[in-house]
Amino acid sequence: MTLYTVDTLLTLVLLSVLFAFGSSRVPALIKVMAFQGIVVSIIPFFITPHMATGAVIFTIATLVIRGVLIPLSIHLAIRKVAIQRDVAPIVGYHASLFFGLGLIVAAAVISRYLNIPSISDSRLLFPAAISLLVTGMFLLMARRNAIAMVIGYIMLENGIYLMGTTFSVRARHIVEFGILLDVLAGVMIMAVILQNIKQTFDDVDTSLLRTLKE
Amino acid sequence: MVELVFITPFVTGLLAFVLPSAVSRQLLVLTGAVHLVLSLLLWKNTPQAWFAEYFAVTPEGLLSLLVISLLFFLISIYTTGYLAAHGLKSENIFTGFMLLFLSTMTMVTLSDHIMVLWIAIEATTLASAPLIYTHRSGASLEATWKYVLICSVGIAMALVGSLFLTFSMELGGVTAAMSFSALTPVAAQLDPAWLKAGFIFIVVGYGTKMGLAPMHTWLPDAHSEAPSPASALLSGVLLNCAYLGIFKTNKIMVSAGLSDFSGTILIVFGLLSIVAAATYILKQTEYKRMLAYSSIENMGIIALGTGIGGLGVYGAVICMIHHSLIKSSLFLSSGNILMGYKDRLIANTGQMAKQMPKTFVAFFAGFAGISGFPPFGIFIGELFIIMAAFKTGHYLAAGIFIFSLCVIFAGFARQVMAICFDTPAETGTQPAADHKNFLFKEPPGMVWPQYVLLLTSLILCFFIPDALYQTIVDAVHAIGGGLQ
Repeated sequence: MTLYTVDTLLTLVLLSVLFAFGSSRVPALIKVMAFQGIVVSIIPFFITPHMATGAVIFTIATLVIRGVLIPLSIHLAIRKVAIQRDVAPIVGYHASLFFGLGLIVAAAVISRYLNIPSISDSRLLFPAAISLLVTGMFLLMARRNAIAMVIGYIMLENGIYLMGTTFSVRARHIVEFGILLDVLAGVMIMAVILQNIKQTFDDVDTSLLRTLKE
Repeated sequence: MVELVFITPFVTGLLAFVLPSAVSRQLLVLTGAVHLVLSLLLWKNTPQAWFAEYFAVTPEGLLSLLVISLLFFLISIYTTGYLAAHGLKSENIFTGFMLLFLSTMTMVTLSDHIMVLWIAIEATTLASAPLIYTHRSGASLEATWKYVLICSVGIAMALVGSLFLTFSMELGGVTAAMSFSALTPVAAQLDPAWLKAGFIFIVVGYGTKMGLAPMHTWLPDAHSEAPSPASALLSGVLLNCAYLGIFKTNKIMVSAGLSDFSGTILIVFGLLSIVAAATYILKQTEYKRMLAYSSIENMGIIALGTGIGGLGVYGAVICMIHHSLIKSSLFLSSGNILMGYKDRLIANTGQMAKQMPKTFVAFFAGFAGISGFPPFGIFIGELFIIMAAFKTGHYLAAGIFIFSLCVIFAGFARQVMAICFDTPAETGTQPAADHKNFLFKEPPGMVWPQYVLLLTSLILCFFIPDALYQTIVDAVHAIGGGLQ
């Protein structure tokens, strides 16, 4: 029963990956990211049915940070930047979507051949994590809009977190919490830099950031 | 006790944000002194950490810690002079983040847990980003953006690598704690496939932060846009901290019997960095960027030495210590040059020997040291690495290494000569100020820290205290190196 739930949730993650590849507007991308953050952080509840109090508190903290605080800080950053803009793709949307589909298939195929230790029987856990990770990298490289790049970084971190849940017996929550705080602080700093980029260059297109070379 | 070394600067760093600027300047030097005393105490008798699962005192950590502590103390003295002469808008933000930066770097040297090390290294990125943005110009904004984004993404790869290490523990049935000191003895039981994958990701991740080519692109920008005391810290000690992550993982690889695999990877990345530095250093027009590329070169040398193994590891550790001392002195001198000429372009400087004789001596001696002239330690380190390369049959690597060193020396020497002796170009934006009208008078506090750094490097070539020598040998021995 729980296994189906986990796989259903992971299917949602994979769908959100496709949305991320296809969305052309920054606000849509932020919604996808928030949705992803929430789904990714509730998965531990379904993998381990009887959690200790510490683990429950940690998972809820993850939910608040990944699902609410991080998307909110990016949302506020672009509210100040005050424009709804295109993500300025370097690779077009159709090509992106095609790449996304290929990525999911490849991740599913490859992970069948890998010898992966897992605390869950879910077949989709590793493919979903890898897909999220590569999606993040793709957004970082194939979008010129600085906000889309930050969102790419967050998706990458979501992917790493998802991969981490397969082994969460190992890491103590105090350590995971440290990682989470680092990511949060990193996103905050990026949000501040975003606002400054907008003030200085009057745009968030990273092709303007080309004065420093070699 | 162990944790106190990084808690102290953390607390004073937070204090510096709220205190008035004049007080926070004093606090900077005071914390530097306290930190130095604390790390010397750590050196004298190695205590157990409060959280022994996460923190431990290791030989390589102690070495880096002492370097960080000494450098920070001298740089903080320079910084007070710098702030008095320069005057920043938000001074206590600058001093506060300097202290937080010190705290996070200390945490890197003392952390033993694989994930805690990751947290500490990511924290150094966050604590140093505001330092780069101190001048609030478009270019410094761009440098900060590049630094935060590239380093965060790079270090995320190291996190993936660390996860792969835990996979290899799971498959190997290892139940030890997830710390370097607990994993190294049982490394042979780890699953080799995931261990290898983990090592690749960790080298790419921490290598980004360390400035290994081709992931080095943030480094020249960040180093040239940051205020000079911050650049000195970035280049002198931050890069070593990232190297520590690779060094410790390499220790696991060696004791798992995979030293050939890890060595080859390190040699390739090392050579790539040295060659990249050689190509870019030739056409540099700014002196701070030139120094930044020289840092990339030295990090490449350290990776190369570690990869070759044996005597090479000893050479790498020697290079690491002396590079920190000499490069930070060079960056501090570059701060004086920037204040004197108000320009970062080499073409607009000149005749420094006449205009700023004291800075000239420090800068020129630093140049001699960093390019491997015999009395300085870099020479000894490079010699050991070359000897080890020949001994282990890495003839091609040794050839590329020696050739690049020659190219870098030629490029570096040409630029340094131009700064020190040439007459400034008439077309430059800054007309040649004659000696009497030259505004920058070289306050003593902005000169002698450089001398002390260089002198320390010089003394360490002829006389190494027994305790220090023993620690170096212990650290080197751990990854199969030695003096044979």
